This record gives sequence, structure tokens and C-alpha cells, in this order.
Amino acid sequence: MEVTVIYNKTKQKKEIQENSTIKEMLNLMGISSETVVVKRGNEIVMDEEKLHNEDVIEVIRVIYGG
Amino acid sequence: MKKCTKCGNEQVIIRRKASGQTLCKECFIESTTLKVLRTIRKNRLIERGDKVAVALSGGKDSVMVLDILNSLYKRNIIDLFAITIDEGIEGYRKHGVDIAIKNTKKLGIEHRIESFKDYFGKNLDDIMADRRREHGACTYCGVLRRWIINKIARDEGATKIATGHNLDDETQAILMNYLEGNIDNLIRIGAKTEPKSDKFTVKIKPLREIPEKEVGLYVIARELEVHFGECPYSGESFRGEVGRFVKELSADHPTIMYSILRGFDKIKPALKKEFSKKDNIAKCIKCGEPASHELCRTCLFLRKLKR
Repeated sequence: MEVTVIYNKTKQKKEIQENSTIKEMLNLMGISSETVVVKRGNEIVMDEEKLHNEDVIEVIRVIYGG
Repeated sequence: MKKCTKCGNEQVIIRRKASGQTLCKECFIESTTLKVLRTIRKNRLIERGDKVAVALSGGKDSVMVLDILNSLYKRNIIDLFAITIDEGIEGYRKHGVDIAIKNTKKLGIEHRIESFKDYFGKNLDDIMADRRREHGACTYCGVLRRWIINKIARDEGATKIATGHNLDDETQAILMNYLEGNIDNLIRIGAKTEPKSDKFTVKIKPLREIPEKEVGLYVIARELEVHFGECPYSGESFRGEVGRFVKELSADHPTIMYSILRGFDKIKPALKKEFSKKDNIAKCIKCGEPASHELCRTCLFLRKLKR
């Protein structure tokens, strides 16, 4: 299935395995779910939620290292 | 189907691993706000009639502090204003300052914006480019920023300065100072400072029990305008290493940050009794601000950069 991911001001389409969770997608992108808040459409969602085909997912980084 | 532990709403936005609660947006905002207000009450951070200065960078932590303290301001419990310091960091700071201005305008809160350039004749970028500098950016930035904030707070008659330190910041500070054997700094950690001079305003940390991730979630859930970004000078630091270590531990031990904080708060009175030193606080001969030596750290830094 395909999802659109918005991260770091860039929008990209990603091919994701059926039944994947948001956390699994973040892991594939090398992003720790502990550092981001995720929105599906306009709603905040937990990282354990399953992705659906054609989801638009916004990943907002809220924790920076230092 | 997951449901909000409090109201049964199926649109949950967080599972708090430490408590097992799952919460919807509205219950998360309410529960987090109450938790901050409980920290304020428990530690007597604010009293009725206080004039509180929020050290407002425009980042998530200080914007959340402003948002919650604004509820006390609106109920006429406290007077409130904000101080923003423009340290002068090209490509980074301006956005935070703009966001800070938007937030205070929206709430109708008095706002003082001051800059390193105006006070010291040079900004942080100038200092970092100076070959005579002896310290890292965070040291100069922290010392110079505190000097200005303290001065303005006093000029404005503030009785408290509220900062955005969260649970992650606090546990990192506890572990870092312990691991470095810096007991002088360790015993100064707490919800509220105990100033050694009446020229220092009491500093308070209302977000001390809120994990950093929840601060991020709060500002997004509340749809507050916030500057998310990384300071170009925040390179590798010991604090960063300690932070990563605590995060790794938290994955399997979700209450670890709370137990670090609670354990420390319990032993702190004994540590203070054993290790408190009586500092002789005098006046800096150059600027008149409190200092434990002839010159305060700010004037000492600036003198060395002038040589």
C-alpha cells in the first residue's frame, strides 16, 4: 500500500507493507517514535496504530538532541 | 478498540506507559494542565499576587508554561509578562522570537524582547567566531542570558521567573551532576531556586514533572504556535549522552525518570545539610550585579573577550 509522509517540510510517497504500524514505518525511516508526534490527516495518532492505504501522515519532530 | 481511560472516547492520542492510562486529546490536555498546577501547588511555586516573568524562547517548553500560567493570569491570581532574549544566532533565533511575539500578542501579555547585541555589543555568533573565547556556546549563552533575564525581572518587579525545564531536563541534570561529582550544582536542582542574594529573582520550574514528549504533544494538541528546531550550537554534549542513556532505560522501565526525580527530591535535604556552603555574595565591581568574586561571570567573560 502507499502512504504520503510529510516530514521536515518535505512530502513523499512511501510504499509500505500491508498491516504496518506507524511505529514500524518510523523505524524504517530511522526516526525514533519517542522524538515525534504523528498526525493522520488532522488528528493526532499513537504510533501503535495501523496505517491504511492512501493515508496522509505528518511526522512532527518535537525533541531535538543536544 | 482502545478507549480514553477517563471519558471512553475512542480517539486516543497517548498511552502513558508510566501509568497505563490512555487519553483522548481533551483529557490529555486537562490531565497535563492539572499535573502542572499540582506541581505548582505542591512546591508552592506561585502565590496569589505574584508577578511572574516567563522566560519565553518560543520553543515548546516555554510556550506551554506561558499557556498554563495564562490561566492563572486570566483568573487574576497572578500578574504575568514574558521576557525573550535574542542571542543572535543566524538562521535560527529570529523564528523563535517571532513565534514568542505571536504568542504574547494572542494572549495580550506584556513582552520584553532584549538582545545580546544591545546589552553586550556582540551577539552569540560574534562570540563563537572570536578566537579568544574559552568556553562552548551553551556556557556563554546560559550565563549572558541569565544575566539579562535577572536584570529585567528585577527592573519589572517580578517575584518569580518561570522557565520551561521539563522532566527530561531535570533527570538529566540530576544524573549529569552526580556522575561528574558536582555536588555544589546537584544540591541546587529543584522545583524552585533559593537565591543567595535578594537581587536574584526566585526561579520556578512548573513543567518539572512533565516528560518532554508530552510537552511536545501538549503544544500540538492545543494547536499552539511553537518554534521547533535545533540550535546550530547544540553539538555533542555530556547532557545529550546522559539523555540518550535515560531514554534507552525508559523504553523498558517507563517510570525511571519519575523515580530518579522522586529519589533525588527525598535525599536532597540530607545532601544540602551535609554539603551546603556559605557563599559570600557581593556586588560585581563592574556591573553591580550579585557576584561571588570581584567580577560576575558575565563581566569576566566579556573582559576576556575584549583583551
